[in-house]
Amino acid sequence: MTGRPPRFLWPFVIVVYVLLLAPLVVVISVSFGSTATFDFPPKGLTLRWYHAFFASEMFVRSFFRVSQVVGLLTALVATVIGSLAAIGLVRLHFRGRDAIETFFLSPLLVPHILLGAAVYLYLARLAWATSSMTLLVGHIVIATPYVIRCVTAGLVGMDPRLEEAAMSLGASRPQAFIKVTLPLLRSSLVTGAIFAFIISFSDINLALFLAGPNAPSLPVQIFSQIQFEADPSIAAASALQIVIVGGLIMLVQRVFRLRLMV
Amino acid sequence: MQRRPHSRYWALFVGPYGAYLLVFLVLPFVNVALLSVYLHSPTKIAVEEFTATNYAKLWEVYYATLFLRTLRLSLVVTVVCAVLGYPVAYFLARSTSRIMTLGLFLLIMPLLVSTVIRVFGWLVILGSEGLVNQGLRLLGAREGMRLLHTEGAVIIGLTQQTMPFMVLPIMAAIERISPSLEEAARNLGATWGQMFVRTILPLSMPGLVSGSLLVFSVSMSAFVTPALMGGRRERMVGQQIYEEVLTAYNWPGAASLTIVLSVLVLGLVSLALWATGRRARLEISR
Repeated sequence: MTGRPPRFLWPFVIVVYVLLLAPLVVVISVSFGSTATFDFPPKGLTLRWYHAFFASEMFVRSFFRVSQVVGLLTALVATVIGSLAAIGLVRLHFRGRDAIETFFLSPLLVPHILLGAAVYLYLARLAWATSSMTLLVGHIVIATPYVIRCVTAGLVGMDPRLEEAAMSLGASRPQAFIKVTLPLLRSSLVTGAIFAFIISFSDINLALFLAGPNAPSLPVQIFSQIQFEADPSIAAASALQIVIVGGLIMLVQRVFRLRLMV
Repeated sequence: MQRRPHSRYWALFVGPYGAYLLVFLVLPFVNVALLSVYLHSPTKIAVEEFTATNYAKLWEVYYATLFLRTLRLSLVVTVVCAVLGYPVAYFLARSTSRIMTLGLFLLIMPLLVSTVIRVFGWLVILGSEGLVNQGLRLLGAREGMRLLHTEGAVIIGLTQQTMPFMVLPIMAAIERISPSLEEAARNLGATWGQMFVRTILPLSMPGLVSGSLLVFSVSMSAFVTPALMGGRRERMVGQQIYEEVLTAYNWPGAASLTIVLSVLVLGLVSLALWATGRRARLEISR
């Protein structure tokens, strides 16, 4: 087999993966450490910082009431309007289709810190106070393109003859779509929704501007705690996020057997 | 295959997100463009009086240094990512599917965890009592090294964050090159190095270009990493924008910075897309 990668690539692979994973491994291990001084490796194991996390009103509110709620709502709205857009782009023919596709994927190219600032200044002009609602507004902009990509890929890979067969058996086009195509699209839809959730759940650049001072999302709460009172409950909060995001990606990769491409 | 007629219902499908983007993406940037030519007033934030001072100000030493520093750091990060990331991309593209699945998971997982968490990990590793300094002390060093709040720390942090943007497009490009091409070159007497330089490298160039531009544009607009890992006086443009919006209330100033950075980043990215597209067309026509 000539496809085997040459051996001298190994050092690069090791360096890159150590670089990529070191911060995450350290965060998880510190979250179980018994001292308050971020020792690595930890001197003893304890769940104390997880207790501290769940006892902290600020953390609990930012985690359960802001990040999770905004994440789920973002996933819901982005999946609905993103799937509609993908269906329109793949299945319908109309003038300016390519231009609209580029426009729809453009939020992937705009740096999030600039988008956050721009939306913040716009809302200020409209005299719209920042809150979890405005955070949701921003997250829908950046999460929907991921849904469009997933659903587009699902639709393009589907055999159009399945729908044609349903129609030759008497179904109308909308009926054939709903009864045949939509169930086959299920895994693309779920993957898109999961990505939309993760994008919202992990975002900090938009949230710094749009979450509002009274309802910070989890990343914003971590950001301000790092600057003012750093203790390992930050690591516990971070470890929880790592586990949730990692679990969701594993779900996408294993259950739906999809090639991940961001 | 029968060609479908133009549909009358397209607006029902692409309308919702189209309208949404118009209201929450296009209009905000139109507003920023307007703000950037308004006069800054310390009491009223912005006065609707047209002026070019917000752009003229960017030529002052402070802002010019800010932009040059941001450009320089982003360039370094791009080069480091390309040098370290290319071999990994080649490795993944030519691995068995099991290794590739694992490799992709470990590559994408860190990318999707919030930036602030990855930065927190680096603070623990590079801090004065951190992993690296503890190691140095074990080796006999008396005093710890100051690793945090330096340009080096920012480069390490940004490299970690942007690496997947480099590896993924290169990997996709290499995967499209048939391994039999490599075999043919080797059978005709080329060494592995000659084969690589003559076939793989030129054919994967579009991936390398788009990876580099992605890494560069993400670095150019970084905020959290330089804010937490960088020095207090050595800022990047993203930090300046954040501060002028949220603490200094110089919105016209922030707006001009936002416009310049957006034009720079989007200009580069479209240039790359156009260049790689053109290259692909050239290759087909040859």
